[in-house]
Amino acid sequence: MLSHREDNTQRIAAMNEAAEALGLRVGLGIADARAMHPDLEVLEADPVGDERLLTRLADWCDHFTPLVAIDGYDGLLLDISGCAHLFGGEDALLQEVVRRLAAQGFDARAGLASTPGMAWAAARFSGRAAVNIPAGGEGEALTPMPLAALRIAEEAQRKLESVGLRRVGALLNAPRGPLVRRFGRLLVTRLDQALGLVEEAISPRLPVPPLSVERRLGEPISLLDDIKDLLLLLARTLRQDLERRGEGVRQLTLSLFRVDGVVSRISVSTSRPLREPQAIALLFREKFAVLEDSLDPGQGFELVRLAAASTAPFVEKQEDLHGDAVVVEDERFSLMVDRLRARLGDAAVMMPTPAESHIPERQAEFMSFRDWVRQPARSGAHRFVMNGRGSGGAAAAVQQEEVTWSVSPRPLRLLARPELVEAAAEVPEGPPFSFRWRKALYRVSRAEGPERIEPEWWREAAISAARDYFRVEDMEGRRFWLFREGTYDGETMPRWYLHGLFP
Amino acid sequence: MSDIPPYAEFGIQSNFSFLRGASRPEELVLTAKLMGYTAIGLADRNSVAGVVRAWKQAEEQEIDYHPGCRLVFSDDAPDVLAYPQDRQGWAHLCRMLTQANMREEAQKGAPLLYWQDLFDWGDNISLAILADFSQPADALLAQLQPFKDRFGRSAWIALAPLYKGDDRWRFAQAASISNELGLPLMATNDVLYHAKDRRALQDVLTAIRLKTTVPKSGLELEMNAERHLKLPREMQRLFRDYLQALAETQRFAASLSFSLKELEHNYPDEVSERGLTAQAELERLTWEGAKRRFPKGLEPKHEELIRKELTLIEKKNYARYFLTVFDIVRFARRQRILCQGRGSAANSLVCYCLGITDVGPDIMDHLLERFISEERNEPPDIDVDFEHDRRAEVIAYIYQKYSEKNTALAAAVISYRGRSAMREVAKAMGLSEDIVNALAGSIWGWSSKEVGEQEAGAAGLDRSDPLTRHTFERANEIMGFPRHLSQHVGGFVITRDRLDEIVPIVKTAMEERKMIEWDKDDLDNVGLLKVDILALGMLSCLRRCFDLLETHYPARDSFGRPYTLATLPQEEKPVYDMISRADTIGVFQVESRAQMSMLPRLQPQTFYDLVIEVAIVRPGPIQGDMVHPYLRRREGREKPEYHNDELRAILGKTLGVPLFQEQAMKIAIVAGGFTSSEADQLRRAMATFRRTGAVRHYRDKLVEGMVRKGYPRDFAERCFRQLEGFGEYGFPESHAASFALLVYASAWFKAYYPDIFCTALLNSQPMGFYAPAQLVRDAREHGVEIREPDINFSVWDSTLEQATFKPSRIAPQHRSMRSIIRTAHGLRLGFRQIKGLAQQDMEQLVTRRGEGYKSVRDLWLRSGLPKSVLARLAEADAFRSIGLDRRAALWAVHALDEARASDRLPLLDRREIGLFEAEPQMELPAMRPSEHVVSDYRSLSLSLKAHPLAFLRDQLKQSGVVPNGSLRDRRNGQRISVAGLVLIRQRPGTSKGIIFMTIEDETGTTNIVVRTQVFEKFRPEVLGSRLVRVTGRLQIVSDVIHVIAEKIEDLSSWLNLLTKEEERSAPPESKPAGQGSHTVSGPPRVAGVSAVMPKGRNFH
Repeated sequence: MLSHREDNTQRIAAMNEAAEALGLRVGLGIADARAMHPDLEVLEADPVGDERLLTRLADWCDHFTPLVAIDGYDGLLLDISGCAHLFGGEDALLQEVVRRLAAQGFDARAGLASTPGMAWAAARFSGRAAVNIPAGGEGEALTPMPLAALRIAEEAQRKLESVGLRRVGALLNAPRGPLVRRFGRLLVTRLDQALGLVEEAISPRLPVPPLSVERRLGEPISLLDDIKDLLLLLARTLRQDLERRGEGVRQLTLSLFRVDGVVSRISVSTSRPLREPQAIALLFREKFAVLEDSLDPGQGFELVRLAAASTAPFVEKQEDLHGDAVVVEDERFSLMVDRLRARLGDAAVMMPTPAESHIPERQAEFMSFRDWVRQPARSGAHRFVMNGRGSGGAAAAVQQEEVTWSVSPRPLRLLARPELVEAAAEVPEGPPFSFRWRKALYRVSRAEGPERIEPEWWREAAISAARDYFRVEDMEGRRFWLFREGTYDGETMPRWYLHGLFP
Repeated sequence: MSDIPPYAEFGIQSNFSFLRGASRPEELVLTAKLMGYTAIGLADRNSVAGVVRAWKQAEEQEIDYHPGCRLVFSDDAPDVLAYPQDRQGWAHLCRMLTQANMREEAQKGAPLLYWQDLFDWGDNISLAILADFSQPADALLAQLQPFKDRFGRSAWIALAPLYKGDDRWRFAQAASISNELGLPLMATNDVLYHAKDRRALQDVLTAIRLKTTVPKSGLELEMNAERHLKLPREMQRLFRDYLQALAETQRFAASLSFSLKELEHNYPDEVSERGLTAQAELERLTWEGAKRRFPKGLEPKHEELIRKELTLIEKKNYARYFLTVFDIVRFARRQRILCQGRGSAANSLVCYCLGITDVGPDIMDHLLERFISEERNEPPDIDVDFEHDRRAEVIAYIYQKYSEKNTALAAAVISYRGRSAMREVAKAMGLSEDIVNALAGSIWGWSSKEVGEQEAGAAGLDRSDPLTRHTFERANEIMGFPRHLSQHVGGFVITRDRLDEIVPIVKTAMEERKMIEWDKDDLDNVGLLKVDILALGMLSCLRRCFDLLETHYPARDSFGRPYTLATLPQEEKPVYDMISRADTIGVFQVESRAQMSMLPRLQPQTFYDLVIEVAIVRPGPIQGDMVHPYLRRREGREKPEYHNDELRAILGKTLGVPLFQEQAMKIAIVAGGFTSSEADQLRRAMATFRRTGAVRHYRDKLVEGMVRKGYPRDFAERCFRQLEGFGEYGFPESHAASFALLVYASAWFKAYYPDIFCTALLNSQPMGFYAPAQLVRDAREHGVEIREPDINFSVWDSTLEQATFKPSRIAPQHRSMRSIIRTAHGLRLGFRQIKGLAQQDMEQLVTRRGEGYKSVRDLWLRSGLPKSVLARLAEADAFRSIGLDRRAALWAVHALDEARASDRLPLLDRREIGLFEAEPQMELPAMRPSEHVVSDYRSLSLSLKAHPLAFLRDQLKQSGVVPNGSLRDRRNGQRISVAGLVLIRQRPGTSKGIIFMTIEDETGTTNIVVRTQVFEKFRPEVLGSRLVRVTGRLQIVSDVIHVIAEKIEDLSSWLNLLTKEEERSAPPESKPAGQGSHTVSGPPRVAGVSAVMPKGRNFH
C-alpha cells in the first residue's frame, strides 16, 4: 500500500488487490487503516518516480508510433493513424501493446477508438483490458459509462450527479441549452469530442532536447576497439555542443543498441564538470575494462548513442601558449578519483570526514567519495578546493570550516587501537606517576586531566566503561595521551591505555 | 563524619527546565535530604514552574529549601543562579521573568532575557554567576567587574567541575579571579539529574529537544555522567584545594530568608459600597440572600448553620474569597448566564444564599463533608460551571474587573503519557517512522501505565533487542515528565497584589490570554485564590430549556415565577421512573452506555440516588471493585456490613461500600490512623507519584493500620485500590451533588417536555454523548413531531411550532410516558442542522423572507445569498414548501447565472424580472426514497423520511438478521444476528479492553459487548465499519439488553445499494482503470454511500 501526505495526514494513495480485499479504499487515513490492520505494509508514494516511469514508458512506446502523449499521471495516448497496418491491424496492435506491457510487469488497460476522448473513456471505463470501439459505436459505448468518462472536472461531475444525471447516456439526448447553461460549454464539448462531432488534436510529448549524439551504423559493429573509436568520435562532437552551452558533463550514458533490440547502457559520472574527449574516453575505458566479458555484442550494435544525463556550468580556463589547458593539481586529483570510481565502483573510493562523537576513535568516519562531493554546504570549503570550481572563490576556499571538538586538545596521532600499558596512578582519579609502554618505562613529570568520556550507551558495541583521559609529559618532554578505563573503587582494577601521541 | 564540611546545592535544574533536566523536583529534594545536604535550591531555566513541588517535598523531608531560578540570557552572558533573599527579591525575580516572557519577540515558552534585565531587577536577590573559566582572564575580569560593582555583597561566583580535562586549570583561574575581584567562590555541581543513571534519559531529552536522534546528537550530548547530586564527601574531594567554596554554600543559604509561604492568602479586596469590612459585607449579602431563598422564613437550624459557617469563614479569613466568587456569579446572573458552583466549599448554606449553588439545604443535609474543613489548612476551592457558549463573557468580565495586573489563568502542566512518551522516545532512539507509529498506535489513549511486552509485540519488535529495550526503559522513565505548560481550561488566579510580583506570567497560545507558571496543585499549596470558570454544555442546554418553557408554556412555580434550577419541582416520581427505565438519552451524565446499563439495577428514587449514580460509574469505584457489592446490597441480595460503628457513620448512606473520595479519605483517617493532612498528602501523592513507588509507603501504612484495627485485609486493600483510582480521576461527592442537580433538571425536562429538551439539546451542540440523529429519533419516539428544515419556516436554531400532541405516536417501549408528557409543540429543525451553512447568511435569509419565498429565483434575488449557499439548501431538501424536491431545486439553482449577479442588486424591487424562467424541459430521473435518505444524511446527518436500514430489511432478513426492536421479546442466551449503523464505540479505561458498541437500525438500538479476544479478531470490522452485522448471544439482565459479540462483519458496502440505480444496462461497478484505485492529487474520492453515514463516535 502506498501513502501520500495530504493536509498533514497520511492517506492511502494506492494499494494492491490484497489491501483492496480488506475493504480499504483510496483516500482513507493511514492511521485509521493501521488501527484496523496493524500489520499493513505502508510505503511512501513517489509521484516523481511514477512520473519518471511513465515518461520512460512513453519513450518505449515510440516503438508503435512517433506520436505519443503523456496523459495525466497514469495514461499514455498513442496516435496510431497510419501505423496500425505495420502490426497487422488495429486489433493486433492493441493486443501487442497490452501483451508487451504485461510482459514488463504492467497491468495495463487499453482502449482504441476513432477519437481521443472515446479511447480515453474506453481504456478506463469499459471494464476490460483491451477494447476496440468501432467508428460510429461511440454513443453506444458511452451510454452506460459514468460521467467521469467525459474527462470533466469532479466539480461538474458532482453537480450533474446531484440532479440524478450519473451516466453519459442521460446526457446524450438531453436538450443542450439547459445543460450548457448549468454545467458550462466544456461538458458539451467533451461529449462531442468523444462522439467525434468535434476534432480534437493530441499533443505529442516533446522530448526534452537531450544533449546527445548518436551514430547509426549501416554495418553493425561488435569489436570493443571499434566502439572505443566511435566513442571518441562522439565525445568530440559532444564537446562542441557543450562548449556552445558553456557546460561540462557530470554524468554520461553510452547506449548501445543491438540489432535484435536489446539495449546496453553504460554510465559514468564525474566529480567536476568535464568536456575533454580524451578524459571522457578514459573514463569509459575503465568501465570497459570491467565490463568486457559481460558486454555481449550478439549480432552487433547498429546504433550508438552518447548522452549527457546531467551537465553543470563549466568554468573556462585560460589556455597556455602551447594551447594546452592548464591542469591544476586538484583537477588531476579529481580525474584520478573519477577513473578509480569508473574502474572500481563508487563504493571503493572513500573520504575521511569529521563525525560528531565524544569517543575519540569515532570522531572520523569514511564516506564514499560520491556522497562526499554531494554533501551540502557543511564541508563546502573542501569541495571548493577539490573540484576546481572555485577559481574565483579563493576566499571561500580559505574559509575552511572550523570544527570545534572537545575543550582539551587532541593528539596529532591517534593509535589505531588503544594499547594497554602498566601504570601507577593517584587514587581515585588522578593521573599516572609512571607507565610502561612497549616495554619502555616513562616517568610522568606533568599531567592534565581527567577528561571523562562515558560510553555511548545506545550502541550495541559501546565501550564498556567510562574513560578518564590524561595529557601527560614525561621527564624527556615527550607527550602522551593516556586513559584509564574503570575506577579504583570497583571490583576489578582499572586498566590504563595509551591512545595517542602529541608532537 | 565531622571532617566533612556542610554542603548545600544551588545549581539544580529539574525536569521543569524542559527537555534538559532529567529528574523531578521531588526526586532532587529527596536525594539531597538523603545525602545530608544542609539546604537545597531549585533553579530552572528562566522559570519557577517547579519550585512549589520541590517546596512541598522539602517541607515533608524537613530540609532547608530555597526557590530560585537559573537566569539564561539571550545576549550571550553567562548563566546566573538567582535566589530571592526576601519577598521583595521574589517580586523582582517574578517581574524580571515576566518581562522576559512578555517581550513581543519572545515565543511562547522561549523567554528573551537580557543581561540588562538583571541589572534592572537584581536587587534583594543573591546571585551566583556561572562564568566560563576557560576564557582568558582579562575577558573574564571585564565581564565580572560590572557584576561585582552592581551587586556587591549579594554576588558570588559559582564554580562546577566539568571533567573536560581542564578542571584544575579552571579552578585555579576562578580562584585567582575571585581573589582579585573580592567575589566569593561557591561550589556547585551544576546538576541535571539526581542520580547518575539518568544520563541516558538526559541524552534522550537532548535529542528530543534538538528534534533529532540520540546517535545524531553527537557533541550536543553531555560527554559524561557527572552532573548528578554528589555526596558532600565527594564535593569535598573535588574542591579539596578550595574548601572555602563549600563553606560559601552555607553563607549563600544564610542570605536567603524568603519562603513561598509568604505568598499565601493574597486575595483581592472586594470593595463594599457601604464601606463595610469584607466579613461584614459577606454577612450582609448572605442574610439578604437568605430572605430570597427562604421566602417563608428561615428555619432555626438553618439560621444556626449559616452563623456557624460565617464564623468559620471569619476565623479562616476567607470572606474575600467568597465575595470574589459571588461577584462573578452575580455578574453571570445579571447577564442571564446560567451557572452553578461545585466543590465542597460550594456546598454550604452561605453559597446557597449567595446564589453560588442551587444545591439547597435539603440536599446538603445528606452530604458527608460540606464546606471547608477546619483542620486542613488549604484555601476553599469553588469551581463554577457556566454555559459553554457564554463563558467568554464571564472571562471578559474578570479581566475587566481585576485588570491584567491581578489576574491570569492557572497553568496546566502537559506531561508525557503513554503514547506521547513512546512516540518521542522511539523517534529519539532513531526507530523508523513506521515503527514509531506502530508503537504509539499500540497504546490506547492516555494510559500512563508502564509500557512493555505487549506494545513491543504489537509493533513487531523484539524486546530482547537492546535498542528496543532502551526505548521502553526510557519511555517508562520519561512518563509523567512535564513537556510544556499550557493554559488551564478555566482556572483564574486573582490576587490583591500585582500578580506578576507573585509568580511570573507567560504568554499562551491565545494572544489575549495570559497564564502563570503554576498549576492548580501549586496554587493550592501556595494558598492562592483560584476560581475555576468552566464551561458546561448542559448549562447552555438548560438555559434554553428554561427560556423555551417560559415562552411556550404556562408552567410557573408556586409563586407564579418562571422556573429556575432552584425552584424546579423536586423529587417527582415520573422523573425518577423514567431514569430508572434508562430512558436517558440526552440527560446529563447518565446518558452513557455504562450509566444506562446501571440505571435499571440502581433504580434511583431520590436525589441522593442520583448523586450516587453520578459518582459510581467512575474509575475510582470500578477499580476498587466497589460497584458490584453496592449493587448487590442495593438489590437486597446481600446485607450491608459495617465492621463497626465508626465505619457505619461514614458508609451508612452507601450501604457499607465506599463510593466517594470523601469516604475513602475518612476511612484513611478513622480506620487507617492517618491525620487529616496525611490523608490529603496521600490523595496528592496518588495523582503525582503513582509511578514512582512512593505510594507504597502509604499503602503499607493504610493497609497495616486497618488490619491492626481489625479490618479484613482484602477490604483494606480494596479501599487502597479505590484511593488509587481516585488519585487520577477524583470525583468527590461534593461535585457529584452539584452534577446530580443538573441530572435531575435535565431529566425533568426530558420527562415532561421532550420537545423543549430536544430543541435545547440541538441548539447547544456539540455536547453530550449522542449525535443529533439519535436525539431527534429519541424525541420522535416520545411523540414529538419533527419537521424538516425549510427556507420558509426555519431560522438558524431549531424552534418550537404549534402542533397537537398525539400520545399514540409514542413508541411502545415508552408507553408509560403517555400520561406524563405535556408536549404541545412540534420541533422545526433549524438551519444550523444543515452542514456548511453560515449563521450570518441564514440570518440574512430570514430577515429578508417577508411573506415567504416563492421560487428558487425569488430566494436568490431577494436574499442576496450566493448560489453555493442555495445549493446547500437544495441539497438539504429545504425547498419543500415551494413544492420542489432536492433534485428539482438543485436543477433550478444550477440555472442561476452568477455573471448577472453583479447588476441585480439595484434591481431588487423591480418586479419585471420574472421569478420563473421558461426553458426547454429536461426530464430528470426521479429520486428514489432511499436516495433521498442518503442525501439527507449527507447534509443533515439524519433523515426524517426513513432509516437507511429500512431499505435493506429484506436482504437483512434473508441473511438471518433480526431487527433490534425485537430483542426485548427474545430469550436470554439465544444466539442471534443483528445489524445496524455504528453510533458509538466506547472503550472505558477500566473495562479490561472490552469495547462497547451501540448500533442502530430502523427499529431501535442494540448494545454490543465486544470482548478483548473477539476485538483482536475483528479489529478492522469494529473500528472501520459504518454498517455492521453482529452475531452473538443475547444477554438480558434486569431489563438491560446486550449482545455479546462472537462474530462481527462489515456490511458497509451494503449501503451502496441505497443509491444503486435501477437495474438497467448498468456496467460492473466502474472505477478507474487498473487494479485498485489511485489518486495522487486532488481530494480523496468519496467512496460511495457508506462514507456519508456517520463514522460513529469514539469514547474512552
